[in-house]
Amino acid sequence: MSIISDIIDSTKAIIKGMSITLAQIPKEKWTVQYPDDPVTLQPRYRGQHLLHVDELGREKCVACFLCAAACPSDCIYIIADDDPRPEEERIGVDERYAKIYNIDYGRCIFCGYCVEACPKDAITHGYNFELSVYTRADLLKTKDDLLITKQKQSPNYRVAFSDEDVDSEYKEI
Amino acid sequence: MSSESIKVTINGSDYQVEKGARLIDVCRSNGHAVPSFCYYSDLALQASCRTCLVRIEKMPKLQTSCTITCTDGMIVTTESDEIEKARRGMVEFLLANHPLDCPVCDRGGECELQEMVFDWGGLEERFRERKNYAPEKYLSPVVANDPQRCILCKRCTRVCDEWMGEDAIEAGGRGVNTVIGTYGGWLNCSQCGNCIEVCPTGTLLDGTYRHQARPWELEQTITTCTFCSDGCQMSLGSRGGEVMRAVARDRYVNGINGEFLCIKGRFAHPFVNHEERLRTPMIRYRKGGKLIPATWDQALEFAANKLRETADAHGAEAIGVVGSPRITNEANYALLKFANEVVGTSNYTATDRFSLAPFFESLGAGLATHRDIRFAKTIVLVGGEPEELQPLTGKQIRQAVRNGGAKLIVINSRAIRLQQQAAQFIHIRPGAEDAAVLALADERFDELAAKKLGVDASELSTARGTVLDTEGNCIIMFGGELSPAAQSLLAQIPHAASTDKRRFLFHPLPLYNNSVGAHDIGLMGGAHTASSLLGAAGAEIRALYVAGSFLPDHLRGQEEALSKLDLLIVQELFETETTRYADVVLPAASFAETDGTFTNNDGLVQRVRASIPPAHQSKPDWMITAALAQTLGMDFNFQMSASTVFRELAERTTAYNGMRYPLLKDETKPVQAKHAIAPRRDLADEIEALRLSIESLDETAEKIMGTPPVGHELFKPGELTGKVPQFHLLAAGNPKPPDVLISPLYQITIDAGLRRTDEAVAVAGD
Ligand code: SF4
Ligand code: SF4
Ligand code: SF4
Ligand code: FES
Repeated sequence: MSIISDIIDSTKAIIKGMSITLAQIPKEKWTVQYPDDPVTLQPRYRGQHLLHVDELGREKCVACFLCAAACPSDCIYIIADDDPRPEEERIGVDERYAKIYNIDYGRCIFCGYCVEACPKDAITHGYNFELSVYTRADLLKTKDDLLITKQKQSPNYRVAFSDEDVDSEYKEI
Repeated sequence: MSSESIKVTINGSDYQVEKGARLIDVCRSNGHAVPSFCYYSDLALQASCRTCLVRIEKMPKLQTSCTITCTDGMIVTTESDEIEKARRGMVEFLLANHPLDCPVCDRGGECELQEMVFDWGGLEERFRERKNYAPEKYLSPVVANDPQRCILCKRCTRVCDEWMGEDAIEAGGRGVNTVIGTYGGWLNCSQCGNCIEVCPTGTLLDGTYRHQARPWELEQTITTCTFCSDGCQMSLGSRGGEVMRAVARDRYVNGINGEFLCIKGRFAHPFVNHEERLRTPMIRYRKGGKLIPATWDQALEFAANKLRETADAHGAEAIGVVGSPRITNEANYALLKFANEVVGTSNYTATDRFSLAPFFESLGAGLATHRDIRFAKTIVLVGGEPEELQPLTGKQIRQAVRNGGAKLIVINSRAIRLQQQAAQFIHIRPGAEDAAVLALADERFDELAAKKLGVDASELSTARGTVLDTEGNCIIMFGGELSPAAQSLLAQIPHAASTDKRRFLFHPLPLYNNSVGAHDIGLMGGAHTASSLLGAAGAEIRALYVAGSFLPDHLRGQEEALSKLDLLIVQELFETETTRYADVVLPAASFAETDGTFTNNDGLVQRVRASIPPAHQSKPDWMITAALAQTLGMDFNFQMSASTVFRELAERTTAYNGMRYPLLKDETKPVQAKHAIAPRRDLADEIEALRLSIESLDETAEKIMGTPPVGHELFKPGELTGKVPQFHLLAAGNPKPPDVLISPLYQITIDAGLRRTDEAVAVAGD
């Protein structure tokens, strides 16, 4: 083939490609300018876990180990302990509480089984999704990272209302 | 029980059953499931839970199958709408007062009530009334109590009374207000924890394991208890290299002991993960210097060189090898092989309190299993204190008498608690047990014996009469008080007195978990005993290789003996009086970390299984011995496998011929060693020697009065409180607990003669 037909072919290809690209420019934009703009997450998004407290601020978890038993990737580590003080002063809602509650995000697959298993509604998935760290050991989150009273929520997300037309849905353009 | 057979029809199928059989057992063994709570075989009937209801034709109402004895032609239905409705109703009643918070209950995951509710419970509670509330509390350092969860099956009160004879836990109050309680708010008992084990719910819980772990997380390992010669089977629950608990629940293990364990077996396991465990091999380079941590290679090299030096300078006989009645058969065998084949010395022994060699040499009848004891007709107990030192035997004796109607003859210098069960209690002067044996064996000596024993001659002839009147099994038990000659004499009694109707069986009461094994292996047959070996230290004995430690008893009076040695090699778990003079200390693995076998006082060879990896750098004893042999240039060819050691051991030990690990696998079918029955022989010499020694007994010695409580003083304050910090806080509302705490190190490093009245000699860690 001659060099001339080569040039013609590639020019045609460029024009074809660019015409698609240029046609998109006036259309509505889907890119989120993260981290300058917050991402919108679905209400049932499964982000970093939250350990909940009751109205008196006592931890709801009773260290029953059911979440650890349900966890398919074996990433929940709990040490239970007793807190025999009067009810109001306790750390948790019950005498039995989790002295140590760790989740290893190096292993967690965000399946939500722990949330399903919990009989006390003590653990849910939160929305924090920025979990990357510089060392692998930092992926191990302790109770201080997980408690709803202590976990810092990222400013980089907003949660969609349940009736909102959630934009991450696949759309035919 | 007569063997007459009768016909019972269950759900339309006919079965031939033994007359007198319990209906619930018959249903179950034929595959007709019947739920139950309060029924517990071999305990008094209770019939309080009513979950075992069945329909029996011609009876007006549904019947509790746990109390019905089968009769000929009985027609039974175990499944129908009516029965289902009744059972569901019963379970609903059981839950009416039961809190619905399994997540905080330690029994969750292995709870019989949970299982019952899965099968028979409703989805919803219909009761809207307030439930009874009672706060959780501790009944003792080891028994936690949550009264609300009780379903009043009264298994706890029955085992406490029937197994243990303690009667420390009882039901009080009436109707819905019935609670399980104690006398004085505190469990004043031997703290065996059997009530915890049999409780189907989370009402009685292990205080030391409380809120520590969940059952499904634990790796359950079936193994043999290391604390006494009964050899109870138990399941060690471990998590992450730590032994969390020891249980005998029938869902995990079904050994000779059923669900029975004593305080030692159940609660004294924390020594395994104790922080004072030896961590590395250590060498004392200079006499009087310090033990310096070393690597295994260095330590073995050092020990081997020194052994070679000693052998070169003084000959092989200058080296002594000392095993232990607490370590496995495999470990003792390796030591014996080391003595015979590597060193070539006849100076080997084991650190037992007394030797059973004379008994086994004259053995006139087989060994009784614990089951035999339960169904014996007559039991003769000479010396010993089984309730404290062999608690399972104690329990079996009590049940044989209480539930089986056996006659018990107790010959003891102390009014031990079992004498309450005895048909006859012969209270003798301390140290005169031999005289009793002589009188039992030969009526010519009644007068002499009675005089020395401080009893009436008729008491002795009555006892002999009871034995000779027995139809069925007569079991003879004896403790360590007997002299070797008396042991032989006793062992020969069956030859003179066995008949078709009457069978004799023996049940020796050695002190340690593998006393019988150490004897069987042949380790007790060396030229020395532990004490005489110490006596010869520094003279003809220049070097000792010791597995375990000498007992304080052996060291008493010759405390300095060990310092006179040129070389002392010790493999131990902890620092002890023996390691104090050791030149090389090698860290050994505990029973929870090693594979092997123990032989119990029934002669049953039972498996010991590793539940966790050896702590720190420790190694199983037999591996250490093999490694030392290797360093000395001899390959034992054990291939790092305990089963290889056992195969070799079984080949070379007559009583164990043919045994292999696969054969010992099933704890429900234990295998008995075949101890050779000695033929009848002339005992004139023994009798004469006994007579002479008895003649010289003091006739004025005071008898010991008073019944010592069982278990109370066996354990000294120790480690356990550290494991239950909440105990101190909870105890605030309780009466002050008596000092019934456990030192896990008790039997490992401390051996105060195992007698309550002896002064305890703390060796280490206490
Ligand atoms: S988070 Fe829930 S399931 Fe997990 S231990 Fe706590 S109470 Fe149990
Ligand atoms: S006793 Fe059994 S049923 Fe009751 S709370 Fe405990 S685990 Fe649940
Ligand atoms: S405490 Fe446990 S064993 Fe005792 S009656 Fe209650 S449920 Fe039964
Ligand atoms: S098992 Fe029969 S009444 Fe409880």
